[in-house]
This record gives sequence, C-alpha cells and structure tokens, in this order.
Amino acid sequence: MGELPGANAIADETNPICGDRLRLSLIITGDHIETARYLAYGCPPTLVCGSVLTELITGKYIAEVKQLTRADLLEAMGGLPSRKHHAAALAIETLNKALEPGINAD
Amino acid sequence: MPSRRVYLDNSATTPVDPRVAAAMARAVVETFGNASSVHGFGQQARAAIDRARREVAALIGARQNEIVFTSGGTESNNLAIRGVCEATSASGRHIITSAIEHPSVAGVCAQLEKRGWEVTRLPVYGNGLVRVEDVAASLRPDTVLITVMLANNEIGTIQPVAEIGALVREKRTAGQRHLWLHTDAVQAAGRLRLNVDELGCDLLTMSGHKLYAPKGIGALYVRRGVRLHGQNVGGHQERERRAGTENVPGIVAFGEAAKLAREELDERSLHDRRLRDKFEAAVSERIPDVLMNGDRERRLAHLSNISFRFIEGEGLLINLDLEGVAVSTGSACSSGTLEPSPVIRALGVNDELARGSIRFSFGKDNIEAEVDYAVGVLAHAVERLRALSPLTLVGH
Repeated sequence: MGELPGANAIADETNPICGDRLRLSLIITGDHIETARYLAYGCPPTLVCGSVLTELITGKYIAEVKQLTRADLLEAMGGLPSRKHHAAALAIETLNKALEPGINAD
Repeated sequence: MPSRRVYLDNSATTPVDPRVAAAMARAVVETFGNASSVHGFGQQARAAIDRARREVAALIGARQNEIVFTSGGTESNNLAIRGVCEATSASGRHIITSAIEHPSVAGVCAQLEKRGWEVTRLPVYGNGLVRVEDVAASLRPDTVLITVMLANNEIGTIQPVAEIGALVREKRTAGQRHLWLHTDAVQAAGRLRLNVDELGCDLLTMSGHKLYAPKGIGALYVRRGVRLHGQNVGGHQERERRAGTENVPGIVAFGEAAKLAREELDERSLHDRRLRDKFEAAVSERIPDVLMNGDRERRLAHLSNISFRFIEGEGLLINLDLEGVAVSTGSACSSGTLEPSPVIRALGVNDELARGSIRFSFGKDNIEAEVDYAVGVLAHAVERLRALSPLTLVGH
C-alpha cells in the first residue's frame, strides 16, 4: 500500500455517490505490470478491494489484467455482500482508468 | 479472538450488573405467577412489580402509578408520541421535535407526518443543542406535542428540557390545555439526577439496558392527567395503557437496576467523567487532526464523540474491534449510498468528518488501564488508516 515512487501509470477514482476513493499507482514495464500500490478511503470493503486488486495484477501481462472483471475480484477476495459490490466496481474502474492509453506518461 | 477485550460502547447497551442478574434469576424461578391472578402466586408477582415500580418512579421523582412498563425505549417512544397524538388529534395536529432524535422518535414523527400531522424539526446548530427560543417561535395554537430528547445518544448533548417544560406550563396556563411535553431520557436516566417536576415534562422514556439491566424492559412515565391512547390493547395491564401479561423478571431487574442507579449515581458519574476526560486528553495529545463533536459543557459525562480526519469510521471501528476495543459509529455505507450520521450532519460538519466520527462511551465497569490500552490501539489504528488514505496526499 501507499503511493508508488516512479509510477508511470496512476488513476484516482471516486464513487460520486458515497465518496469512497481508490488511488492506484503502477509501474508498467513493456507488456506487464511490474509493481502496483494503492491508497483507499471509504468503507472496509473498499480498502480490501484495493489490497486484493494490487495482489492480483502484480507481475501480470497487461492483456491479461485488462480481462479482469468485478466478478474475478469478488471471487479472489472470497465474496462480498451484494450491498458492498460497489467497492469491487470502483476497483475495476480505477484499474481500467490506469490502463487507458494516453492517460499517463509512458 | 483478541487477547484483551475493552467495552467502550456503554451507550449502545450496558453489561448486566451481577446484582441485577441475581434478582432477576430469583424472579424467573420463584415469582412465576401471573400478576393478574387472584391467588397467592399471582399476588406475589403483583407485589414484585409494585416494588419495582416504586424504584423506577423514585429514579425520576415520579409517583408509582405514573410508570408504565414497556419492552424498552422504542416501545415507550412509540406509545408516548402516537398515544398522545391519537388522543389529542381533535385539538391539533402539530408536533415539534428536534433534528437529532433517536430513530424511534424520528420514525414515529415521520409516520404521523404521512398521516396528516405537521412536524417542525428544530435545528441544533454547531454545538448539538436545541434553542428554547426556537421552540417558542415554533409553537402554534394547534401544537399538541413537543418531543425533545433529554440527552443525545451519539454526542451526549443535554437538551434544555426544563426550560422547554417551563414554556409548556406557561402556554398551558394561558389556555393551551392539550399541549404536552415528551422527552426521550433513555441515555440520561441513571446517568443524570432527574426529577420530572423540575423538568416539567409530561412523558418520559426510559430503557433498562442502558442502566445495567437486561434488554427487553423499559418504562414510560405518564404524568397524571395526560390522555394517552394505548397501543397494545386487549388487557387491563398497566392501567389499560399497555396490555399483555407483565414481564415480571424484566420488571424486577429494572427495579433493582433503578435502585442501584439512584444509590450509586454520583459515584458512577464521577467515575465515568474521570475516564472520559482522561481519554479525551490522551487522544488530543497523541492524535492530530481530530474534532470533538457536540457541546463541551452541556453533555453526558460518560460519552465522547470524535471525528478523525482523512479516514472513515467503519474501517476504524473494525480495526479497533480486531484489537478487542468495542466502539460505535453512527455512519453507514450501504449499496453505494453514503448514510453519514444524521446527528453529526445536523451539527453542520462536512461529509468527511461525519463519516469519520466514532462514539466512545464509558461505564461503571471500565477501569483506567482500559483507557490507556484503548488510546494506544486507537492511535495505532488511526495512523495505519491514514497511511492508507489518499486524502492525506498533499493537495488531495
């Protein structure tokens, strides 16, 4: 966790309704994610989603990471009550934003 | 299970006093008769209820026939508000309440509003206190009920009920005969020395489990002369105000707890205040960026409500629970919708501070070493969550 020094891809997303916020910083080398860190504000599931997400994507090919869905994340963390699914949605949204071409300096 | 457990949620409920539990256990086994029965078994139960009623009445300076036993605070609030409004609807349909009432008061008012009553909700400003002049300005000829809590359950602020009571008496003397004052004293009973005549209230709600009795027992004080429609009908119990066979063990427990509360009130109050003040001083010294919510003076001695900047209350609560420290937060996040505590919001604080608010409430069984432990755990948890929070980034 924390802010990754030397990150070359950063995304910072906020759920406009509840105010939960996730910030993802990545070091992307060639076709894969070398390192990933997160910062999170919000209910406990949001903090956990940030943590599980960084574990899931570290060392993985970008093509593979782009296929990740909310359901994959929920499965990896052992499930969440449906009223907390928005935490996983925020995590996937932040990830996709970080991987958007042209958003971050490469 | 953590190695140590520290209970700092005495406003949610209190541990049952062993002396209360012993009295209750005896009643369960020995006083099983139905208090409505004419025979000796029934009369034994009736006598036990009468003794308990005297103790509960004595706790608030009431007459014993002014006490109606109920299942708890929520039922008492329902009975008081709906009972009075139904009985007086011919005289008017306007209710005055505050913006920070417990859901069992706010909910009944909202329900009556849907059925055609008008409800004025008084603001509490930055300090969490209702202003008597706002009550006076809101009074109308068709106002039949003012319901303002005695002490708030989240921030502990003590409302000017006696001043409102004086105003109500003035209005009644001037001819507004159907104006009644109800106060939810669930947090205050057993913690503040109360007298219904000094308060000038006509109805007052109490709950057993906030004063070291078990859950499932409460009472409503109803001043002689107040017209009230019973909500539970189908029996003569509690002077037709609450039908149903009496919960004798619960009533006995409440009576014992009320007696102990009256005898030990000053001592408990000093004890709670000492722990609370020690806690707040340590928090102020060790944790930066905190905001203490609610008026500093006019508040209950056992309670502290603190907002921690940059972090969210639920996460902090769970971190504390993992270390065995039990507290509560009034805010909740569900289905992606933020529900910050309406009480903290009513103080005018922003969403971030409302979400980061935690209530610590002390009780007679807490000891100083627990305060030290809790502060240590708290400082560590706040630091951890802040290290994780994007809100602490420069220029967030």
